[in-house]
Amino acid sequence: MNNSTIALFLAATLAVCPALAVDHAGHDKSGAAAPAAAPADRANVWKAKLAKPSLALTAAFDGKGRLWLASIRDRHLYVSHSDDKGTTLSAPAMVNAEPEDILGDGENRPKIVVRKGVVYVSYTRGLEKPMTGDIRFSRSLDGGRSFSAPLTVNDNREVISHRFETLEVNDRGQVFLAWLDKRDLSAAIRKGEKYSGAAVYYAVSDDGGASFQPNIKAADHSCECCRVAMALDNESVPVIFWRHIYGKNERDHAMLRLDGKSSPIRVSYDRWEVDACPHHGGALSIASDGVSHFVWFNNAAERHGLFYAHSADRGNRFSAPLNFGNFEAQAGHPHVLSLGKAVHVAWKEFDGQNSVIRAMASADGGKSWSPPRQIAATAGASDHPLLVADGTHAYLSWNTAKEGFRLIGMAP
Amino acid sequence: MRQRLWALALLSVLILPAAAQELKPFVGGSIKEITAARQGKPFILGMWSLTCAHCREELALLSSLLKKHPDLDLVLVATDTPEEGEAISARLRQSGLGGAQAWVFADPFVERLRFEIDPRWYGELPRTYLYDPSHKVLAFSGKPDPRQLEQWLKKYFARH
Repeated sequence: MNNSTIALFLAATLAVCPALAVDHAGHDKSGAAAPAAAPADRANVWKAKLAKPSLALTAAFDGKGRLWLASIRDRHLYVSHSDDKGTTLSAPAMVNAEPEDILGDGENRPKIVVRKGVVYVSYTRGLEKPMTGDIRFSRSLDGGRSFSAPLTVNDNREVISHRFETLEVNDRGQVFLAWLDKRDLSAAIRKGEKYSGAAVYYAVSDDGGASFQPNIKAADHSCECCRVAMALDNESVPVIFWRHIYGKNERDHAMLRLDGKSSPIRVSYDRWEVDACPHHGGALSIASDGVSHFVWFNNAAERHGLFYAHSADRGNRFSAPLNFGNFEAQAGHPHVLSLGKAVHVAWKEFDGQNSVIRAMASADGGKSWSPPRQIAATAGASDHPLLVADGTHAYLSWNTAKEGFRLIGMAP
Repeated sequence: MRQRLWALALLSVLILPAAAQELKPFVGGSIKEITAARQGKPFILGMWSLTCAHCREELALLSSLLKKHPDLDLVLVATDTPEEGEAISARLRQSGLGGAQAWVFADPFVERLRFEIDPRWYGELPRTYLYDPSHKVLAFSGKPDPRQLEQWLKKYFARH
């Protein structure tokens, strides 16, 4: 497959990046005063949204330098791989044999992790009611040629929101999934009680993804529709990072080490109080020396824009948050990747004509940074930027409506 | 061909009520069009979406303000797609906002649309802009404070 056929293949999977929207399905259930639209109307809008093509494409390297891609097309998840950094791609393998409404809008995207020859994927399947979903998981034991029938990971099966999942696999073959879950909101509504936001749940598989242990609640009161980030620390324990609701309505960020005994730690104090969902989650990368690197977005009057901070002691202390990106240019959707002491941060801006990806790098574990520089641009709709590494080098993975998928090396 | 056109026309009459408000496609340059048509005049620009629950509260609030201040110039822009036009019009009608000027995002390159409206708007909804007569703008994310809106309105619009 040459570049143009890749572009063609991808073009089929891409098209419109749906406008950002806010969803607080739980809030209206709990009794909004506004006249609600007829349920059929909302359901139809939701169905139309589900049917839209998605630009969400996720890339990951395996341990041998092979690049793997997961993308959504016509209600199927497809996985392909490349041995030349995306120039040529294998024929895509279909993950779900039965068509499903795989979410790929806003902060939803499929996830892919490849460890020791096993390909692990997860995604959120939209259900029939607006803003609802189930967390789905599948794996391939034959090098990505075929995939297991997807299983539903959330053990609460109400038609409510279980969405925005994140996936990691450690070298022991343990599979970790964390997501935002509205089962506690649903229970509160049944009891006539109030519950703000959603909850964060996670599940662990100790048999390489054949089955999952019962779901565990990580925290109550998360923001409802921002992606959850997860990374493995230097002891192969997963750490999650998400937008939480503090106090009455402060949408700040929290981290939690999923070791079964740690408590959530507040990471940001920007104090953005807003009755809206930003659809704008953070990212986390943990270096081999155990330093955790965080990036996020907030929009409080006093403290707004993109922020970076690190912690060398698992969240006891954080560096003073560094404000970066051009706030007058919609700087958003930051991603972070560490390779030893090297740290890369990439984000999206709009320069008046094009959406551009800008990046900055640190060679000393996040203490000092290069000036931001432009990595790529597009004059159309685009996915969020992602940073991936093949063990030694960092790359920007970016999918755009006009150019298709691009993998661009990051200068050290 | 002619028959098909007739069928289409008939269909649209059946679907759309007689007094349906026009839903204008919001594209690059539309915000200039909106402000140019209101030189020296105050107005409220409300960004909303069908999928946003807080936006329903916002629409209800704007509708109640419109009842109190019938001369309020209200421009509503849905960040959905033109394909959802029927649902958008229906929602506005149900919210008592069938008389407001209504637009819908008609370009998938949403970053450009957002930038033209406000480089500091990151897509969160609802998003409300109060344009004073010199078109100095106050912006709010989330459901605005009704008292603050009422104060602003009193300055520029007569009470019913």
